[in-house]
Amino acid sequence: MTVGIQLEKPKPEKQIQHALPVAALEKDKIETEKLNAFYGKNHAIKDLSIKIRDKSITAIIGPSGCGKSTFIRCLNRMHELVPGARASGKVFLDGNDMYAKGVDPVLVRRRVGMVFQKPNPFPTMSVYDNVAAGLKLNGVRNRDRLDQAVKKSLDAAALWEEVKDDLWKPGVSLSGGQQQRLCIARALAVEPEAILMDEPCSALDPSATAKIEGLMTNLKEEYAVVIVTHNMQQAARVSDYTAFFYLGELIEYSETTTLFENPSQELTERYLTGKFG
Amino acid sequence: MDLGLDRLRNMILDMAELSSNTVNVAIDSYVQGRDLRESVYGWSEELRILQDEVSELSVELLARYQPVASDLRFIKSCMEVAYGFSRLGRYAHDITDVLGIFGDLSKCDKTQIELAGKQAEDMIRLSIKAFADRDVKLASKVKEMDDLVDNMYISFVKKAAHEQTADIKCTVSATLILRYVERIADHATYIGESVLYIVTGERTPRK
Repeated sequence: MTVGIQLEKPKPEKQIQHALPVAALEKDKIETEKLNAFYGKNHAIKDLSIKIRDKSITAIIGPSGCGKSTFIRCLNRMHELVPGARASGKVFLDGNDMYAKGVDPVLVRRRVGMVFQKPNPFPTMSVYDNVAAGLKLNGVRNRDRLDQAVKKSLDAAALWEEVKDDLWKPGVSLSGGQQQRLCIARALAVEPEAILMDEPCSALDPSATAKIEGLMTNLKEEYAVVIVTHNMQQAARVSDYTAFFYLGELIEYSETTTLFENPSQELTERYLTGKFG
Repeated sequence: MDLGLDRLRNMILDMAELSSNTVNVAIDSYVQGRDLRESVYGWSEELRILQDEVSELSVELLARYQPVASDLRFIKSCMEVAYGFSRLGRYAHDITDVLGIFGDLSKCDKTQIELAGKQAEDMIRLSIKAFADRDVKLASKVKEMDDLVDNMYISFVKKAAHEQTADIKCTVSATLILRYVERIADHATYIGESVLYIVTGERTPRK
């Protein structure tokens, strides 16, 4: 009887094979084609082709240094902000190449928001101004419009009820979990099309983590959400699809339940069961 | 986690040995006309307690370590396999009860039960070995062996339904016991299926 676990990684085929969960129903939001990323001579992402579904949560898991964070930073062109860093290949958002000549990286970052590991509200700004900052930078001055956007974003980030009477307090006076939701509200205010989250709960306690995870589930109604996490249980809890990265390569990508119950690659199995990493 | 999984495996192997012996003794006691209800009942109770212990340890491992992949499949299967072994104990007890209900059955023909019982005992033995060695081939063989026991039971019942001259006491008691043996064989098959699931992740649709 054939055993369902392959002992060796499949050799990459010449033709581009986009990894894609089979039973996916939503359309693709983000797609990479032979994406490579470097830090100087260090080749961090290798020929990575993947399709990320809209209105779903996709988790990226893998051991430290496997390229998870680098990968999502390539998706909104933040990778190139690191000195000495470069990327090649293609990243499509709704079919348009975000690395094509003439594309403004600032606009890309507006369309694809990012939430970081450590909550990083602008330290000198109030709760209100933190959320409104992106809109103000984009030239929005109308007070009513700003008010509406701030309320809508804080609502969507499940924070409005907790801060509606403290909008003018400094953003940094909130608890860690609230600050992270404030950062999510700030990302949502500029009406992005996808949200990237890089270890968004690793600095939070279980209760704040539960709130952010609940929020992610709400966010996927509207957005493509990509989350990088070291916490496999979190990936298992919240995501619809999971991709396992190892040494800059995509090893396995499938529906989360399948990947966690019955991974097809030996490497995935070994990582998930704590045999390495 | 690894220590917990080893402990779980050892508990299952203890249950395996006990349930296999219990079934053997129950079938022998019928064939030889010996009343061993008390002993068999005691062992079946012991198996039930062991099953509870396996469940408790499994839940503890799930809660503490949140295992995934083959570890998750193993724990899930251990709970199923432990249930299977406790059912073997229960059916063994049911077999010994038949003698209590019907009294002396020494004049009945026991050939079919001996044959089916031998086949079921072999299936249990192989399913245990398949579990211990994670042997997929052996697990598949157990499944194939089940058809023979099923056919023996069905043929016996069909024949009994049309038999005019048969001794009603012998026929009813043998039918009951063959039914229990057929169920025992089914549970051995399920244990084999659990082995397939642990190793390959594939679920076998049940009949």
